[in-house]
Amino acid sequence: MSIAHEFDYVKARTIKEALQLLAQPGAVPLAGGTDLVAWLRDGAVSPACLVDIKALRELRGLRVQKGQLWIGANTTFAEIIESPLVQKHAPLLMEAAGMVASVGIRNRATIGGNICSAVPCCDSGPPLLVYDASVHVATARGVRKIPMKKWFLGPRHTALAKGGLVAGFSLPIGKHAGAFAKLKRYRGEDLAQASVAVRVAAGGEWRVAYGSVAPRPLRGPKVERLLKGVKSPDDALLTKAAALAESEIAPITDIRSSAIYRRLMVGVMVKRAIQMAAARLGGQGAAYGVHVLEEAGS
Amino acid sequence: MKPITFQLNGSARSVWVEPNETLLDVLRGKLGIKTPKEGCGRGDCGACTVLLDGKAVRSCLILAVEVEGQSVTTLEGVGQKGPTALQKAFIENNVFQCGFCAPGVILAASALLAENPKPSEAEVREALAGNLCRCTGYEPIVKTVLAVAKKTARQSTSRRVRS
Amino acid sequence: MSKTTVVGASPVRVDGLAKVMGSAQYVDDLDFGPGLLHAVVVESTQAHAKLKKVDISAAEKAPGVVRVITGKDFPFTFGLYMHDRYIFPQDRVRFVGEQVAAVIAETPEAALRAAKLVKVHYEPLPAVLSLSDALKKDAVLLHPKLDTYERVPWFYPQAGTNIAHWRKTRKGDVEKGFKQADYILEDTYTVPRYAHCPIEPHAVTGLYDLSGRLTLWASSQSPFAQRNVMALALKPLGLSHRDIRIVTPYVGGGFGGKAGVSMEIIAAVAAIAMKGRPVKLHWTREQEFMNTSQRQGVIARVKMGVKKSGEIVALEHTLHWDAGASAEYGANVVNAVGLSATGPYRVPNVKIDSVCVYTNMPPCGAYRGFGYSEFHFGLESHMTRVAQAIGMDPVEFRRINAIREGDTLAYGAPMNAGDLQGAIDQVAKEIRWGKPVKSKKSNTAIGKGLACFWKAPAMPPNASSAAFLKFNEDGSLNLTVSGMEIGQGFLTVMAQIASEVLTVPVEKIRVETPDTDRNPYEWQTVGSHVTWSCGNAVRAAAEEVKAKLLATVGRARKLKVKDLYLADECVKSRTDATFSMPFREFVIDGIMQPKGNFIGGPIQGSGMFMPEFTSALGDPATSQGGHPNVHYTVGCAGVILEVDKETGKTTILKAALAIDAGKAVHPELVKGQIVGGIVQGLATALYEDIRYAPNGRLLNPNFTDYKIPTALDCPQEIVPIILETPQPDGPFGARGVAEHTMIACAPMVADAIADAIGVRLQTMPLTAEKVALALRGIDYDEVKGDNLGFCFRGRPCDYSFSIAGQ
Repeated sequence: MSIAHEFDYVKARTIKEALQLLAQPGAVPLAGGTDLVAWLRDGAVSPACLVDIKALRELRGLRVQKGQLWIGANTTFAEIIESPLVQKHAPLLMEAAGMVASVGIRNRATIGGNICSAVPCCDSGPPLLVYDASVHVATARGVRKIPMKKWFLGPRHTALAKGGLVAGFSLPIGKHAGAFAKLKRYRGEDLAQASVAVRVAAGGEWRVAYGSVAPRPLRGPKVERLLKGVKSPDDALLTKAAALAESEIAPITDIRSSAIYRRLMVGVMVKRAIQMAAARLGGQGAAYGVHVLEEAGS
Repeated sequence: MKPITFQLNGSARSVWVEPNETLLDVLRGKLGIKTPKEGCGRGDCGACTVLLDGKAVRSCLILAVEVEGQSVTTLEGVGQKGPTALQKAFIENNVFQCGFCAPGVILAASALLAENPKPSEAEVREALAGNLCRCTGYEPIVKTVLAVAKKTARQSTSRRVRS
Repeated sequence: MSKTTVVGASPVRVDGLAKVMGSAQYVDDLDFGPGLLHAVVVESTQAHAKLKKVDISAAEKAPGVVRVITGKDFPFTFGLYMHDRYIFPQDRVRFVGEQVAAVIAETPEAALRAAKLVKVHYEPLPAVLSLSDALKKDAVLLHPKLDTYERVPWFYPQAGTNIAHWRKTRKGDVEKGFKQADYILEDTYTVPRYAHCPIEPHAVTGLYDLSGRLTLWASSQSPFAQRNVMALALKPLGLSHRDIRIVTPYVGGGFGGKAGVSMEIIAAVAAIAMKGRPVKLHWTREQEFMNTSQRQGVIARVKMGVKKSGEIVALEHTLHWDAGASAEYGANVVNAVGLSATGPYRVPNVKIDSVCVYTNMPPCGAYRGFGYSEFHFGLESHMTRVAQAIGMDPVEFRRINAIREGDTLAYGAPMNAGDLQGAIDQVAKEIRWGKPVKSKKSNTAIGKGLACFWKAPAMPPNASSAAFLKFNEDGSLNLTVSGMEIGQGFLTVMAQIASEVLTVPVEKIRVETPDTDRNPYEWQTVGSHVTWSCGNAVRAAAEEVKAKLLATVGRARKLKVKDLYLADECVKSRTDATFSMPFREFVIDGIMQPKGNFIGGPIQGSGMFMPEFTSALGDPATSQGGHPNVHYTVGCAGVILEVDKETGKTTILKAALAIDAGKAVHPELVKGQIVGGIVQGLATALYEDIRYAPNGRLLNPNFTDYKIPTALDCPQEIVPIILETPQPDGPFGARGVAEHTMIACAPMVADAIADAIGVRLQTMPLTAEKVALALRGIDYDEVKGDNLGFCFRGRPCDYSFSIAGQ
């Protein structure tokens, strides 16, 4: 099926040029295009102009600077999976990236695009939330940093203002372990029915985030408080964590799952992800990149 | 209309395209390249897989204007000098049934073996998970890719031993 | 059976090289030059509504548009068995997605844009979106003129109702049977709709040339049936069979979805409207789901009576099918099940009612298994439950009742040969039946299941096949047939059969996909019957060629034909070991005589096959008296699976399937059918799940939300087992196997889940969600939400509707 809608296409050479173009009415940035081109076919969007941002140097790169891991917005999920820096400093993101769609999509889809599409089931949302990442937004007046916690406003709705362009993400670095669990209808490619990211630092500081169980990816403060200072949670604590997790989400019933299954499974996933994260923190547990939900059962 | 030039199966090709034409549409409709197939038009099935600078991608989700200056390989390019070892094995083992997914599967498997010559079964399955096949149940595909990888690895080892 | 050398071997597929090198052409790969036009259809937004006006004025004026056609231009009906499908709706639309008009334009983009400009004025009618709505008293009728539709004589539509067909089969005395029973179990099982999902969507290009010739290049399983359906439907335009030509290149998967006629006829009339220019119609994936055909949903009520000894004494099987908006093909699925819903068991007293019901949902039709997968889910689940209730091992219970050659079928004819006992034994051994496996993890449990299956081709009694063979100068052969290569390996198998008779190697036999002008007749490639039926035709053609080879050499060399035989591509003599006449030396040019003249000529042959013993004319009230089915293929499958008790996720550890192929002409291809069929069958059992909104709109017409298996979703181990009890009237003893391999999947999984965790699910699919909720005592149907309803809204197992007029 063809794309019926007609539009202009410009490949921006500099970030300044990109920002100028994006300030025009109906201008939309094009990165990997794996969401955007599908939406164009469906007639879900009808931009006047696509501004191709793939050539922008500023949006590329994976490096450690000033104690932070910098991930350029144009970094593809395949690059995230393969990056030794991500594997070392943000293994949870690598684990989540491995669950994004399929190889053919991961070779093209970018983390910036995933965060800007901002669907409630986006796979990079929960890991970036537990990493306390900052979104670097380039604007005509300079770079603005938006904390991940304030990024998602609702389904397909973010804190990005018109004319702004996500340049990349900075993630604080520190010793930690984590696990990303994704509930899918089967083992193949699927949008998350629900997802859970758990990160624990050496001192027992826990962070938890959920996807697909609320209008936007969100943190789990109740579970985080419960686990504070705990290094190896016992069964009783895990059961409590599961119950708390179920209480701090707001899942809906849709085509992919009933609300109640989502809720119950978030409990199971929180338990298994915490177990896996704790094991990994202690140098045990499966290597990153496994299907945590399937591997972590005991 | 915009003119674009890119490498297609090893040769430079130039073509005029509209911004709203996908790479898949242009390959099939304007360049006579018919092996990338349209199975779903939204990146779910992998039948339109091509290699873009060596990486397996969905040509239905890429605008033709985006590939200016890049290199595109389709199944037409893979077998230009006769069937590859992988293709030979796919033929000998009677792997495919209807064959519609075959171009995408062969490209995805070729890209995998180029990057990772000794993949595990799990890696083969993961690499091919985006290429839907409704006929074979995947078993003959996965077995053949693993067998070819094993054979190639053995051959390259024995070459090293000789030299 | 005589010893064979090529039949029974597994040569390289004749289409293997073309498919792997990318040179195999599918319809959309054919080029038609710059004159090609593109058609896009305007789809109904209503499930059921009066069509007040279709305003095409704005669309006609849109840039690039050359013509917009509607039901006013082509007010015709069509259908394979009953003419209840409309090329374009006339007075009413009957499902969301139905084609109301077609916009024909210079580019697909222009057609897409203009399609949005067609204004359709509807007057909504109450939509019939569930079987209970369709069957209630004073139900809204989808087809008020049902009794006027042309149909085959063995369909029984009920005028004034939504019942398109009702197949009744009665054997013995079912009431008496239940009185003899020591135990009776009655329960309901529900199977929703499913989609075929070939990776190649439907595509057609049509050309009605200036001489009045209509050619369609179509992705089809049924070129000749399509020609026939179109010739009948388009007769008012002066078209006849001789004017219509269907060309079918390689087909990217069918599974029944490309049998009969669906969207192809829209391309045909679009081409007729644009005389002289080719018109292409290419379905999107969404349309592939919405407007071709789907597998029918069914609510099945099973009542079984057994003796303590395990002998089944009575079976009442009542099935109500959701046929959708037209039943022109789907009603034959219903018919097939009405004849065979005993499953592969000996049952003395039988009462089957298989009822085909119209709903305002997309039309349904053939789907791999043709109704058998659907009824086996309930029947085989029931078999296990009955066995357990009387304290008998479910496998032993099946062995006791397994059908044997010569047993009387439900419709009175005798059962053909087939080793069901052997299949049960082999599968039971393979999955170590009776030896429970304990999971090593605390959160999972392991269970086993085993189910039997059978299936017969469902065909009109005069469905036939034909084949042509001709030699080339180099001794190679061209074989033309019109069965379709839809992936199963049909072309290769036909080449093997010709090769076996003529000693010409398979690689020297070219078999091409059909063109109705040039290839001989084939009814359709459906029902897993072409190996058997067309194979017989090919064998007959090869025998004719063989006779000509021998006769020509005998005449030219003055030898007795009875002394001659074929070997190694030569005619040889039993009386003179030195005599050898290679085919390539005479099959075109003849054999030179001493005077310089030649004897012989181009050697060719033809063959045909029709099962002359069949008849569909049984008693409508009992189905006794006819012989509607040619034969059944039987088999058995088993599974070992692991269930995660918290998430409900199922992992298939091992699946084994044994099938009696009669003779496996190409064992590797048979195994390919077993593996592919099991994976497809397990997907329907576990997660494929079609969803409709309360307004009848399909919610998941895409692979994003209708999940078909990927390379990550296969069983850890699949064991294919082939049994060979020859089919006496099959080519070298062969019978079909392709559809059968998915039939047992759903019940064996349901049994294994019940075995593992004690939860018995009676509504497909058996999703992780359903299992997990059931384990927590939550009924999925209570929580699934309104917008998740399929055609059995509310609680699917509610059996509240009555069967009128029984």
